[in-house]
Amino acid sequence: MAAAALTVDHLTKTFRLHSEKNNSLKMLIAGKKRNRYEEFTALRDVTFDVKEGEVFGVIGENGSGKSTLLKCMAGILQPNAGSVHVSKRMSALLELGAGFHPELSGRDNVFLNAAILGMARREIAGRFDEIVEFSGLESFIDSPVKTYSTGMYVRLAFAVAINVDPQLLIIDEILAVGDVTFQQKCLEKFVDFRNEGRTIVLVTHAMNSVKDMCDRAIWLTHGVVTGEGDPAELVEAYTEMMLGDRNRNEDGSVRRGSGEIQIERVELFVGASETPVKRFRTSDSIRLRLHYRAEKSVPKPVFGFAIEHLGGATVTAPCTRDVGLLPASVSGEGYVEIAMDNVAMLPGTYDLHTSITDFNRQHEYDNLHLALRFDVMTGKPYETGGLVTMRPTWTIQS
Amino acid sequence: MAHRNLLYLLSLKELRTRYKKSILGWAWSLFNPLSQMLIFTVIFIYVFKASAPIGDPSGLKNFPLYFMSGLLPFNFFSITVGVSIGAVQGGAGLIKKVQFPHEHLVFSVVVAQFITLMIELTMLAVAMFIGGNNILPWLPLLFVVLIFLALFSSGVALMLSAANVFYHDINYLWGILSQILFYATPIIYNPATINLRALVLIANYGPTGSFITAIHNIVYDLRVPGTGRLLELAVIGIATFFFGLWVFNRLSPHFAEEM
Ligand SMILES: Nc1ncnc2c1ncn2[C@@H]1O[C@H](COP(=O)(O)OP(=O)(O)OP(=O)(O)O)[C@@H](O)[C@H]1O
Ligand SMILES: [Mg+2]
Repeated sequence: MAAAALTVDHLTKTFRLHSEKNNSLKMLIAGKKRNRYEEFTALRDVTFDVKEGEVFGVIGENGSGKSTLLKCMAGILQPNAGSVHVSKRMSALLELGAGFHPELSGRDNVFLNAAILGMARREIAGRFDEIVEFSGLESFIDSPVKTYSTGMYVRLAFAVAINVDPQLLIIDEILAVGDVTFQQKCLEKFVDFRNEGRTIVLVTHAMNSVKDMCDRAIWLTHGVVTGEGDPAELVEAYTEMMLGDRNRNEDGSVRRGSGEIQIERVELFVGASETPVKRFRTSDSIRLRLHYRAEKSVPKPVFGFAIEHLGGATVTAPCTRDVGLLPASVSGEGYVEIAMDNVAMLPGTYDLHTSITDFNRQHEYDNLHLALRFDVMTGKPYETGGLVTMRPTWTIQS
Repeated sequence: MAHRNLLYLLSLKELRTRYKKSILGWAWSLFNPLSQMLIFTVIFIYVFKASAPIGDPSGLKNFPLYFMSGLLPFNFFSITVGVSIGAVQGGAGLIKKVQFPHEHLVFSVVVAQFITLMIELTMLAVAMFIGGNNILPWLPLLFVVLIFLALFSSGVALMLSAANVFYHDINYLWGILSQILFYATPIIYNPATINLRALVLIANYGPTGSFITAIHNIVYDLRVPGTGRLLELAVIGIATFFFGLWVFNRLSPHFAEEM
């Protein structure tokens, strides 16, 4: 059992809500008035711990207390009750960007920030080039950071935070603003960190990152822990809660979309059979059939399927636009079928999500989440790990 | 000190960003006292026909020099406090994002202002020499008094900058208070020539009055202030500093949520 890198013990944090910020002496002199505030409990009796070497996720809706929790961990806010214990050198990146001084150049801010995080000047100088290179801001490093874009700001902050050699890295919503290259870099860095046995606490609304990267997670609702444990399960419960019970069908699927055209049902067939099934074997040929009904004529709809492993990884997500299958319009009832031969998926449980969108994939006519859950049974070939087989040929030379 | 590097960098920032985007830059820190000196010299000597006090035992009789030797230390005090209030308020971006000893925001201002004061006093020393006072042998004693003044200024700055996070009135209040203090301190007048008893008491024995009187003694009169006076300054400086630090440390954990 790994030791705890971070322990949060019965943490409660309340804020005073004044009707308006009464930071004036009048209120102090008027005495009683200042006491007329409401207490707002942002975190209530939160207890959990994070083990060394773990990537730990915190999820929850806007205003549920995630950032407040992280600020308490970082020692920026003082809890009203309970405690936070951190055993390792910590570096925290809170709510988009570290503390930078807007008038100072990127260079000066790197030094200032690293000094705040506890590094000696010589140590910073030694890593400066690495930091700048990681941020990718070589040509802007001597401009004041107030001229930086949001993404540039975060890149620099992230570059500093990970280069001060923290054993515990706390990150609040950073992937949201970086571009693809940078997000990729961050993910790689997270993996490195994990492999080096360092600990990461991550707040994000990107549910796929939680499922892919986290070992464990907690779910906060109005400052209370509503769930703790396996990220995939938590994310599923959370997504379901967020999309609302209203859209939930008796079979467990979740529907949203504007509804001009609707997905009636989705079926899975094996081989040439016309009997719908819920399981097949590796290397079977399958067909997925999506029945739709449109109240009126819908122009250029795009039909999409996504097969997701229970663990959260998307195995494949084809859509009709990818192959240029673009009917000018559809109306009435009909179905779309996708056939897959010799399926390479390995044994496990998978979910099928389906959607019908407009050509730009921006507007959703209908989205049926968890349209079908099916199992892949052991077939040939069989491999113990992974999601799909590449049907390998082995040679051993001796 | 764990965050010595931080203090160094913040002080450097304080010194460097002050006159950014100004053509004359650092020269401004000299123009301000010089223009004040011109104005007050003209008003007091030509309008009010006041005469400069006579240094005892130096025999110096020079209103601009008398004025400057009081103004520079006083400005150090009042600017340090004013800028500190702004530095803590303006440090919100840091305070809300990273954990660090917040008092360094104040200390860095004190360090930067003290360096500025040293430069100004070097110029004053030259002017004094030309005017007939050689203050070179007096510099060690002056330095000791200035250290006490810096401790006193830090204490007041710590207290007010922390309180200002909770009540922004402090900022405005300080603007008025520092003006009142300016006139309650013997800078533009010699307390001996005044017959308003209350003002004489404040000017002679109030905290700022005590510091300025001692500094006048050293650089204008060229004599050692009384032992009682020096002791008083040491006590005021050290006590204010530690009391200010105590208040600041009590309040600073709550800065982030108030900002
Ligand atoms: N300084 C403060 N004073 C008063 N209330 C605050 C303060 N900081 C946060 N809150 C309140 O605490 C609650 C939790 O805020 P928090 O920023 O932790 O939410 P979050 O989970 O991070 O949300 P998001 O997903 O939008 O980032 C909110 O209702 C917010 O209004
Ligand atoms: Mg947040």
